[in-house]
Amino acid sequence: MSLDQKRYLHKLHLDKIKVIICQILLIVTFLFLWEYLVNKGIISSFIYSSPSRVVKTIIELIQNHNFFNHIYITLKEVFISFTLGISLGFLIALILYEFKFLAKVIDPFLTMLNSLPKVALGPLIIIACGANIKSIILMALLINLIVSIITIYNGFLGTDEYILKLFKTLGASRLQILTKLVIPSSYQTIIASFKLGIAQTLIGVIMGEFLVSKEGIGYLIVYGKQVFNLNYVMTGIILLGIISYILYKLIIILENKLLKHL
Amino acid sequence: MNDLLEIIDVNKNYHTKNGEVKAIKNINFKIKRGEIVSIVGPSGCGKSTLLSIISGLDKDYYGEILKNKDLKIAYMLQSDALLPWLTIYENAILGLKVKKIVNDESLEYVNYLFNFYNLNEFKNSYPKNLSGGMRQRVALIRTLALKPDLLLLDEPFSALDQQSRLLISDDVYKIVKKEKKTVILVTHNIEEAVSFSDRVIVLSKRPSQIKNIINIDFLNQESIYERRKEKKYHQYFDTIWKDLDINES
Ligand SMILES: Nc1ncnc2c1ncn2[C@@H]1O[C@H](COP(=O)(O)OP(=O)(O)OP(=O)(O)O)[C@@H](O)[C@H]1O
Ligand SMILES: [Mg+2]
Repeated sequence: MSLDQKRYLHKLHLDKIKVIICQILLIVTFLFLWEYLVNKGIISSFIYSSPSRVVKTIIELIQNHNFFNHIYITLKEVFISFTLGISLGFLIALILYEFKFLAKVIDPFLTMLNSLPKVALGPLIIIACGANIKSIILMALLINLIVSIITIYNGFLGTDEYILKLFKTLGASRLQILTKLVIPSSYQTIIASFKLGIAQTLIGVIMGEFLVSKEGIGYLIVYGKQVFNLNYVMTGIILLGIISYILYKLIIILENKLLKHL
Repeated sequence: MNDLLEIIDVNKNYHTKNGEVKAIKNINFKIKRGEIVSIVGPSGCGKSTLLSIISGLDKDYYGEILKNKDLKIAYMLQSDALLPWLTIYENAILGLKVKKIVNDESLEYVNYLFNFYNLNEFKNSYPKNLSGGMRQRVALIRTLALKPDLLLLDEPFSALDQQSRLLISDDVYKIVKKEKKTVILVTHNIEEAVSFSDRVIVLSKRPSQIKNIINIDFLNQESIYERRKEKKYHQYFDTIWKDLDINES
């Protein structure tokens, strides 16, 4: 390795460390300022809680209210709805790709469903499925499925037409075209739909928990509102922030593994 | 019968919302076994259309294409159409895989081609790491691996720089001659057409008809560089240039 190359790599490394240090500083400053302003009474501790109160709330939740169960429940719902959403999305996108006529027919309905505010369907879902996990998953599915279908389907449509022509000249079957070309060339879009999907799923699950209100992080937030203990609400929000970050990171790791050569 | 392919009264119209496009009109010609024929013509005149019809991809035309039922046709396009997620070697045997003819014999031939094109050390690389010329060679290996009787080349070198273009067209010429393949080459480049082929078919503007067929009769049959040095080269060039009537369009 030449000296210049070493210097370049070193600089890259340094830049990365600088970014991380700034991020940590930002978080610490924010937490400190928040605590300070609340303690001085400049902003209301009742509404905005404070870092120390959030910590206390978490300890209290662990001791008395099955804290980890709430997290587990929410994660479980997210996992089920996400997996269902992307598998169904993938399958339906495949069907639409194979049957272009069908795709044309249902196109306006997909668009309509996509822009419909799904929360409006909440009451209907609760009455149809009952106040249980089924309603929550259905809510999340309604939100993440349409986006998955549309993203993945567009990925399929973006297959390189020269390569498509090559496969046709090779006399490839439709199945071969799908498995050897269309699906692998859409890996990037499929991963992109995972990223969209995980965000949408979280929205759906929390919305569902608001409606059903039994357990989970969404329930903690609603409960906090009902008993006017906004520490719960703030704790719930912070937990959600951390969870969505971790889930997103997991997808990025998957992406780097899968798309190494692209 | 020495003819590999006979094209009889082929006509093709495209239909779009905005109207009808008459692409080709009353095309007739024959291709002999082992012959290299170039097709030149103004852009958009219907050269690719003609190749699609010959290859059997496009079945929606008038007229007749006479060919042996089990004539093996391979098609090479302007884009190398390599799959970015496969290694060079996996790309090279893609055609064999799709056609389910991966066996010792076909793989040995692929290895021979890798040697011939000096690409051995890149077998496990990915397409993005190769230059345009090398990628096009891989596409060529993928095509030749199928041992086609008839090679259809649709401006296969036009995405390359001038130098790679000459090098690779000479490579192709050599291997095609050596293996006595029949070739139809579509190109915009008159020099390429003259130096590469036994015959050049000049098409007119749309709806394109055959304007002229020029027999190319060089002494040398081994290298396009040598062919380019012969006296007749410029005569052929001028004839085709005039036939193409570039100024008129
Ligand atoms: N699928 C299609 N639908 C409608 N019109 C088409 C279609 N494909 C080609 N055409 C039209 O038919 C004509 C011939 O097209 P073709 O691609 O065969 O020309 P070409 O000689 O290969 O052109 P180029 O030199 O640009 O490669 C063009 O005018 C083109 O616009
Ligand atoms: Mg063309």
